[in-house]
Amino acid sequence: MNYDQARYGDDDRYEPLLSEKDTTTVDVGESSPLPDDLTRDSLELPGLSEPELARHYTRLSQMNWSVESGPYPLGSCTMKYNPSFTEDVAADPNGAVHPDRSDGTVQGTLEVLYGLQDSLARIGGMDAVTLQPPAGAAGEFTGILVAKAYHESRDDDRSEVIIPASAHGTNFASAAMAGYDVVELPSGDDGRVDLEALEAAVSEETAALMLTNPNTVGVFERDIVEIAEIVHDAGGLLYYDGANLNALLGRVRPGDMGFDVMHYNVHKTFATPHGGGGPGAGPVGVTEELAEFLPSPRVREREGHYELYDPERSIGKVHGYQGNWLVLVKAYAYIARLGDSGLEDASAKAVLNANYLASQIDYDIPYGPFHHEFAATAGDRDAADVAKRMLDYGVHPPTTKWPELVPEAMLTEPTEAESLDSLDDLAAAFDAAMADSDAELEPAPSKTTAGRIDQARAARNPRLSWRALGEEE
Amino acid sequence: MTDTSRHEHHDGSPYAPHTPAETAAMLEAVGVESEADLFDVPEEVRFDGALGIEPRSERELRAELSGTLAKNDELTEFLGRGHHSHYVPSVVEDLSRRSEFLTSYTQYQPEITQGFLQALFEYQSLLVELTGLPVANCSMYDAATALGEAARLAGRVRQTSGSTVLIPEVIHENKREVLDNYVDGTGLEIDTYPMDDGIVDVDALAELAGEETVMIYAENPTVRGTIEERLTEIGEVASGADALFCLGTDVVALGLLEEPASVGADVVVGEADALGLPTAYGMGLGVFATRETFLRQVPGRLVGASEDAAGKRAYTLTLQTREQHIRKERATSNICTNQAWVALRTAMHIAYLGPDGLVDLASQCVREAGSLATALSELRGVKAPVHDRHHFREFLVRTDQPAPAIARDLEASGFAVHVVDDHLLQVCVTDVNAARTEALVEAFEEAL
Amino acid sequence: MFEVPEDRKYQESHEYATTDGETATIGITDFAQDELGDVVFVELPAVGDEITQNEAFGVVESIKAVSDLYAPISGTVTAVNEELFDRPELVNEDPYGDGWMLEIDVADESAFDDLLSAEEYREQTE
Repeated sequence: MNYDQARYGDDDRYEPLLSEKDTTTVDVGESSPLPDDLTRDSLELPGLSEPELARHYTRLSQMNWSVESGPYPLGSCTMKYNPSFTEDVAADPNGAVHPDRSDGTVQGTLEVLYGLQDSLARIGGMDAVTLQPPAGAAGEFTGILVAKAYHESRDDDRSEVIIPASAHGTNFASAAMAGYDVVELPSGDDGRVDLEALEAAVSEETAALMLTNPNTVGVFERDIVEIAEIVHDAGGLLYYDGANLNALLGRVRPGDMGFDVMHYNVHKTFATPHGGGGPGAGPVGVTEELAEFLPSPRVREREGHYELYDPERSIGKVHGYQGNWLVLVKAYAYIARLGDSGLEDASAKAVLNANYLASQIDYDIPYGPFHHEFAATAGDRDAADVAKRMLDYGVHPPTTKWPELVPEAMLTEPTEAESLDSLDDLAAAFDAAMADSDAELEPAPSKTTAGRIDQARAARNPRLSWRALGEEE
Repeated sequence: MTDTSRHEHHDGSPYAPHTPAETAAMLEAVGVESEADLFDVPEEVRFDGALGIEPRSERELRAELSGTLAKNDELTEFLGRGHHSHYVPSVVEDLSRRSEFLTSYTQYQPEITQGFLQALFEYQSLLVELTGLPVANCSMYDAATALGEAARLAGRVRQTSGSTVLIPEVIHENKREVLDNYVDGTGLEIDTYPMDDGIVDVDALAELAGEETVMIYAENPTVRGTIEERLTEIGEVASGADALFCLGTDVVALGLLEEPASVGADVVVGEADALGLPTAYGMGLGVFATRETFLRQVPGRLVGASEDAAGKRAYTLTLQTREQHIRKERATSNICTNQAWVALRTAMHIAYLGPDGLVDLASQCVREAGSLATALSELRGVKAPVHDRHHFREFLVRTDQPAPAIARDLEASGFAVHVVDDHLLQVCVTDVNAARTEALVEAFEEAL
Repeated sequence: MFEVPEDRKYQESHEYATTDGETATIGITDFAQDELGDVVFVELPAVGDEITQNEAFGVVESIKAVSDLYAPISGTVTAVNEELFDRPELVNEDPYGDGWMLEIDVADESAFDDLLSAEEYREQTE
């Protein structure tokens, strides 16, 4: 496919910085209503007219890839299409309310949140849901704090969280943030949890096992019932990382697999836009036994009236307010748009797309059968180089070099939103990049706004602001 | 009526483009009979029931949700306490909603995402100008979680055996709860120091600060809207105790109030969503800025400038070895997904205002709060502001009559204010509700 | 393929120590720098600090990896290659020369016996 990304600028840069377009210094003291010793002396910032601002950001947008530009098959990221109407729903001025309003005056907002709590509980097979965590990692942290509170409530002091080596990095970091020691579980030969290794790892110190299923190579942990038994028998809880839930909607529920706590990545599974890195939302679902520990407040309904309440032995708050409202309302709308049949179909098509794409590319895929994503290997080529070359063929490449279980991994998740034609384009890009010589790979990409960027230079000499750039000159 | 349009059919996901013929062709290519055959899931964990979620058309849903949200009462909000909003110009709405921004992911392939990277670099740069500190990350979730991260940073870099984080006795209760959770696994303890008529009691703080202290947190403006008058002294107490000085503030206040770097702040946290984001039920954007010394301890993503193969300036996520996807349990934070899109909007709004506009807006926050307090204090049985200090946007109101009852009456007249306790209300005024202050005062008088 | 000079001894975790008497120069091997890729940051102890054989004494970072540095031998740090703080790329360019990390006063010379010879280390990396 022919592709050339927009490229503005001159010999030194692509688009001038705001500060290079205008820098104005004002003397703050002059117009201030405060005594001088309470104010800053001056303020130096860019100030652009509206037409200039519109042009600046339009140009920046044209130098940016997005899921509306083309396939974005980053594994574990679920870059599916974000329905337009959810933006209109979120923009409803009636929803623009302050979080400290009294319950009686925000019945509409609370009804939406209650509805989303309910939908997520149904989808996850969970008994209770909090919507407060503002991202997946925040959900993990919340879920682990809930697990900790549960153990503490039983005077059961546990110090370890077990995590498969191939898990998402956030799992390790979230468990450590909650004060746990991390026990890393090596993968079995088939890419799944090795039951013997798990048996050896669990003990009376085990607070929880964190697991995603399908796992990070897209393979379903078929032994999940045994895994749950091993962990539960040791007195630990089973935590479900919802990053890969897009494989299972309506077909398998974490609650039915024996999970006690889970988070949902609504910006993945439920199609809210990623916004260049966020905001997302990471609601947490739990079984009845853990519900009283959830963050406060939650929403409940009494005789048609919605109210906020604090769960009895709540861990307290994990966000200043109720999380990312604008994301949550879009997730509610998406789930309601699809309903049972749509959700089930979304997962079926996500899994079909991954399998179809895999069947069309000339790459080894060491682990299977896989579901919504697969980890191909670039073999003796550098996966990062192959990925850079794919950019020149007008697609975004998959996640590269992760998980480490697969050498030179290219973790690919096309999602249900890609059409057959688009998957064929993507497959062609995979194969074309792989067929190119090293001499063609190394200088890639050339069709993107910027050529290959010197990462080492950025890290050795960090310049993180235009002030730092100015000081250097 | 039969509606066979693909946009109305309810048999599957409307956002999966497959025609039945395409699905059949793909199944054949894969070599299976049906989609169900692709699932390698043991029978015992399959879910055969119904979730019970009724699909709806786009048209139905829009009507349903606009009906639901219309159940929210239409109130003029005089609410703040950590979630503030100012008028967001249409150009910010429009530009930020361009799908190239909205539907893009974290910039793992920088060559093809220069636009967003530059926007985030500009956001960081604006925060550097506003705080005077050389390092600002490209977002935390909100002010409360940013404070939690600051305490964790202080714990990591501590030179002494100390483990106490000192915070003001008057702080938003939600922020305190989040902070408690963020330090839960660290061994750090939170202790409070007293306030003196709305600002920090520096003498009492100095008594409390010592070897045990790893961080002193203060706010400007405070949760009650008072403007802190002794920042430099607080900074001196902190450095005297070898503790970090963490200052909580917001992006509008930064345009007018003392520059954090000039009063010795080591870390600045706070709320940046006051610009760029309309009231959104508490959704935020957390500021995190610090000194160069702590660069490698910063939580969250950083965008840096480098060069591309053509020798041109180009941007990339950098210093990623701090982050969870590389350092795992030893990462500076678990944060991955952040609030990048809000940061984009905030940067747009700041650039739209320019320095004059920002200083004007911030000055308005001082003037409007002053005039409204004066008008309210003329009512019988009302004292405003309670603290004899300068205020930013908001202030406490003491009422002889029970405050909750007054707030209820105000609500009935179409106004929302905070109830702080039995005889204290808090009122917040910005450009958004400034035109309604006279009406508020009238309603207040009627409520008495 | 990778350079493994004969005049020093090696740790399985890819650090080397020179063995010329009471002082030793410590760094990482050619193999290690190649595995890491472009080194962007090095964190080292200060002069006067004690390091202990097999225990972590510092950190080396590339763009996409972080590695602890393990002391091949115990001793007191007498010099630190401060040049690396500004030019970490020296670790890549000249790991056995300008890319050295520490000089130490060796606590116990017999502990060199616990390390691999050049030949043994070469075998390990093949």
